[in-house]
Amino acid sequence: MLQIRPIISMLMRSKSGPILLLVQIILSVAIVANASFIITERVSLMSRESGIAESEVFDLDIYNFDDGMDPVSQTKRDIEIIRNLEGVKAATVSSMTPLSGGGWASNFSYGTSKEDRVDAANAPLYYGDEQMIATLGLKLIEGRNFYPDEVLTGGSELASLLIVSKAYAQETFGDESPIGKVMYRGEIGNQPMKIIGVVERLQGAWVDNNNLERGMIINVELAAAFNRILVRADEEAIVGLKEAIPAALHKENPNRVVRGFTTISEHRNIVYRDHELMATVLSMMVVLLLLITSLGLAGMVMFNIERRTKQIGTRRALGAKKRDIVSFFLVENYLICITGGVIGGLIAVQLGQQLMALYSLPKLELFYPIATVAGLLVLTTFAVIFPAQKAAKISPATATRSV
Amino acid sequence: MLSMKNISKVFKTDLVETHALRDFNLAVNEGEFVAVTGPSGSGKTTFLNIAGLLEGFNHGDYFLDGVNISNLSDNKSAAIRNEKIGFIFQGFNLISDLNLAENVEVPLRYRGFNAKERKVRVERALEQVGLAARMKHLPTQLSGGQQQRVAIARALAGEPRFLLADEPTGNLDSLMARQVMELLEDINKAGTTIIMVTHDADLARRAQRNIQIVDGQVCDFSMYQAGENRGKTQSIADAASVA
Repeated sequence: MLQIRPIISMLMRSKSGPILLLVQIILSVAIVANASFIITERVSLMSRESGIAESEVFDLDIYNFDDGMDPVSQTKRDIEIIRNLEGVKAATVSSMTPLSGGGWASNFSYGTSKEDRVDAANAPLYYGDEQMIATLGLKLIEGRNFYPDEVLTGGSELASLLIVSKAYAQETFGDESPIGKVMYRGEIGNQPMKIIGVVERLQGAWVDNNNLERGMIINVELAAAFNRILVRADEEAIVGLKEAIPAALHKENPNRVVRGFTTISEHRNIVYRDHELMATVLSMMVVLLLLITSLGLAGMVMFNIERRTKQIGTRRALGAKKRDIVSFFLVENYLICITGGVIGGLIAVQLGQQLMALYSLPKLELFYPIATVAGLLVLTTFAVIFPAQKAAKISPATATRSV
Repeated sequence: MLSMKNISKVFKTDLVETHALRDFNLAVNEGEFVAVTGPSGSGKTTFLNIAGLLEGFNHGDYFLDGVNISNLSDNKSAAIRNEKIGFIFQGFNLISDLNLAENVEVPLRYRGFNAKERKVRVERALEQVGLAARMKHLPTQLSGGQQQRVAIARALAGEPRFLLADEPTGNLDSLMARQVMELLEDINKAGTTIIMVTHDADLARRAQRNIQIVDGQVCDFSMYQAGENRGKTQSIADAASVA
């Protein structure tokens, strides 16, 4: 049977060992709970779906140095050359590469006049033609794509149509359909653009920005001396295209530099590297802390078994079954663990609030301290059960031995 | 009450075999007070351990209160120790981190008594040994004699039919030893069977029957006449070297 009260009495009368263990558990819970929370946050950030066929899409940059070049016609020729290469599924000139950490964004507003203007959220802005959706592998869930003749080649002032992400549409218009709504870039009256389509997901370039999911595309094909091209191809064709694209472009016009060829998957790895590093370091810290705590627990139990050999023998002589001895050590350590867990949990919440204030982290959810304590109880069971089973094997005859 | 027939116990190491008990025969009737003497290494403690189900034996038959002890499971042995046997140890074996009441309560918890029942029994047992007023004290706050009385209270609290005492006065001065012995005599008069291992010839003489163990065997000619010998004190204890 459980012997909670006498075990508490024993712990209270022989405090130093349990207190040291308690402090270790308190610190472990406080640190592990917050670290686990941060790890989960980071992992959930890293595992966000971009809505893009990441492994099939890569970008490349074309730097033209030909002074007499007409950017519009050169861009059209270049994109045509790339689209005609074997293995290429789609290609488009773009203002930025998703998840690359650099690109364009803009503020928008909507309404019927300057008086009833409503500011809409800032959004990452893709310039693209009718192949942008196919190039990125986006899923159009409402409305339509641009028609080829609606795409204008030149600067951003030409934009008149918008395809927005579902996240942006919901944030701006709620459950109302965004199709047909007119948005303005910046102030009302500036460059009206009509929403004609909604894609399920479209992430921007900045993974740490809260505008990440609000991607939108305008019907403009950029044409300049410098162009960023996005290409979608069969995965196995990408290696070959790294050679074929520069060769084909140089054949058409040798006065330029073609470089890049980074897939979105590679951009993802680069842009999330800090998050991954932090998650890895914190995970190692959590594992080490839990290992040290479980070693502390096991060490404490083994020390107590040595110290209490005669007592265990006496208890066995007085009628304790083996399971009573095991449960004695389990209950003793559960009590320390739960006490440490409660105090550590409270400190974890406090620590979480400090981290939240200092580093703009989200609020620590109670689940984490609770899960940490639950995990620690499981760990306690494993750390204690084996030495305790050894203790249970101490012969009751030990009680009559003088040494 | 207790019947051992041809009990053998051998301790083996890689190099030697030690026959702690060989063809050991003994019968103890209910209500007896038996003193067990013998020189060091004669097998007294091994006998006590086997009698108290603290360890097993290699050969022979052992019946305690009609139950064949030979092939009992560990759990069953623990239950019999808890319900039928009270132990008094030479070193008292009190748990230093528990107060007197909590110490006396230990076997009662293993018995599964509820808190109310435990409280009644603890108070009654401590009252019986004259320490009811000190139940919140720790063992270290008591003299050796008082500690042994607490150990006796712990042994009595479960109302065992059978009390095994291993040198109960071995760590006490003569005055305290006499008090503890008087207490044991009172307990025996109340009907509890007592087997006491002792080196003290004077104490052994106060028991109803003496047996001596030499080289793992009983040197008591009346070992199978326990019932007939009840009330008599055998002279063997006198002859035993108890230096």
